[in-house]
Amino acid sequence: MKSKILLVLLGLFLAASIAWAASYQVITQEAVIRKDKRFFAPLIVRVPYGELLEERERQGDWLRVSFKGAEGWLHISAVQEQKFSLSSLSGERAQETTKEEVALAGKGFTPEVEKAFRDKNANMRYDLVNQVQSQKINESRLQEFIRIGKLRESGGAP
Amino acid sequence: MKKSFSLYGAGLLLLFLFVFGCAEAVHLGTTIGAGTGKISKEEKERLDRLAVQTERASRPMTAQEEHYLGRAVAASILGQYRLYREERLTRYLNEVGQSLALASDRPFTFGGYRFAILDSEEVNALSCPGGTILLTRGMLRRAQNEEELAAILAHEIGHVSNRDGLKAIQQARWMEVVTLLGSEAARKTGGAEMAKLVSLFEGSVQDVVKTLLVNGYSREQESNADRSALALLQRFGYDPNGLPDFLRKMGREQTGGGGKAGMFTTHPGMGERESEARSVIAGNRWVSGNHAERDRRFQQALQSIR
Repeated sequence: MKSKILLVLLGLFLAASIAWAASYQVITQEAVIRKDKRFFAPLIVRVPYGELLEERERQGDWLRVSFKGAEGWLHISAVQEQKFSLSSLSGERAQETTKEEVALAGKGFTPEVEKAFRDKNANMRYDLVNQVQSQKINESRLQEFIRIGKLRESGGAP
Repeated sequence: MKKSFSLYGAGLLLLFLFVFGCAEAVHLGTTIGAGTGKISKEEKERLDRLAVQTERASRPMTAQEEHYLGRAVAASILGQYRLYREERLTRYLNEVGQSLALASDRPFTFGGYRFAILDSEEVNALSCPGGTILLTRGMLRRAQNEEELAAILAHEIGHVSNRDGLKAIQQARWMEVVTLLGSEAARKTGGAEMAKLVSLFEGSVQDVVKTLLVNGYSREQESNADRSALALLQRFGYDPNGLPDFLRKMGREQTGGGGKAGMFTTHPGMGERESEARSVIAGNRWVSGNHAERDRRFQQALQSIR
């Protein structure tokens, strides 16, 4: 009896380590996969929030990932590692997980919550927030700004 | 006999929980347990639910939630202050801030870093969760060069990067959010649950706004933001002395009884912070680079500020 249980435990351990191939979820509105591990490296593909990426390699704060057949680099702060999933081992669990995720998707502090909050608080200046958030400086301008100011175009924090 | 099996099953589950530390393992454990008849179906469901709830209770705020919270915090502050609209200056501020943020410990937030000016004589800088950073006109006017401006922005980026704003939310309030989302009731989108969630959101916004405008961050949070700022300035090629130079100026104003504005309530102990910063710079033997071109563009961008 005991040895059976030990065997089950051992099996689980092995399965867990196999299933540990890291995948990452995009946690920014949009992430950009690039040709090289630099912020201004040429763009390969834009990936929307929530998509899953498979890790190929990691160097410092940069990950080489694949997404729908494309491969390239992105900075670690744009993604979150998904904890290992044993879903493949248990079809039943996989289905349940999906149901659970669907049920919880869009819960929390979401655009719907923001809308209800806005309706309730007319004095909130979301019009100005939108204006402030639209001030994105384009990449070529940022590069120029860094170059002229003799600053360092880095690959991020070491 | 049945009871001992049940205990055996429970022990096995605890072991799984210890080994894998997540709800997945408990579920697998319960599935095996139930499959082999060691635990009943009801017991299995109860344990699964418990594991999922425990997992959720400790979940941190997601980057997307941080973004929507930060938008509301900014909307609230912009309801209390006027926005200072000068296109060229705002663009310059964003050029300094957005390029600096790329070299920070957290280059990417959900919606990115954005910088704007509040039309106020007060001397203050406010970092909303997610990366919207607001500087008063009074603060901007006290910066003498791009190094000092970058130092202020780097300090605020440090607060965003360290998620200091989120730490202002009462723990019990966040626990309530998590519990509500984990409950069966919330899964069916009901009006009452939504109303509860909105009021928890409202409370969280108030917690953060109150910390930004009234209570201030802790001495430790300020000190950490200074340290990240110094490292960031140095890494990016700015003279890190911009930070202690600016703190010195603030300290003088403070002792001169110059103001009761936010900067002094939210950023205490200027003298102490200045010497701390100087010793970090000396300890690392950091030296400054060329700033002629930076001085020129700074003067040009700020020449028309009231």
